[in-house]
Amino acid sequence: MRIQRVVRDLVTTKRNFWLASKPLRVVEDASGELEVALDPIGAKTGDYVVTIGLSAARAAAGNPNITTDLTIGGIIDQWDEQRWRS
Amino acid sequence: MKICQVEGTLVATARIAGLQNRRLLVVKERGSSGKQVAVDPVGCKPGDWVIAVGSSAARDAAGGKDYPSDLTIVGIIDYWDEASGRAGGNANADTARRA
Repeated sequence: MRIQRVVRDLVTTKRNFWLASKPLRVVEDASGELEVALDPIGAKTGDYVVTIGLSAARAAAGNPNITTDLTIGGIIDQWDEQRWRS
Repeated sequence: MKICQVEGTLVATARIAGLQNRRLLVVKERGSSGKQVAVDPVGCKPGDWVIAVGSSAARDAAGGKDYPSDLTIVGIIDYWDEASGRAGGNANADTARRA
């Protein structure tokens, strides 16, 4: 699992059936690289989150049929930029 | 399996139900600068050198096929010498202990 920050929402109206209607967020890692993660808990822009990758991302989405390889697993209570970048 | 050093605990109150109340730890993989988060069913302290499994083995190690973990700690290394990258004492010390 990795620590990432939510950058913004991502809206895709036309989408794969197995993405269902789950919300998507653009997340960045400490080096600034952007990825898209499925968000079952409702993280806000600027939140530091724990993201789950690989096949566990599908289990984390709540339904193993959902086609995702990155899912937000939790919102971190206390985290700061300096600790993140170091 | 990866060799990692535990940096500290990570508190995430708002979490998906599947993660249950398992402890999450911030770990640093040996030889890389990036931080990762691992599920800890063992009970580690900050500074411990641990072994962690990834991919689908992480799910089994954390408690079941449907547990959503991609990195799980499976053991604490008794002794790790980071300078030489060797576990355990040297050969002479081992023979001395046996004698």
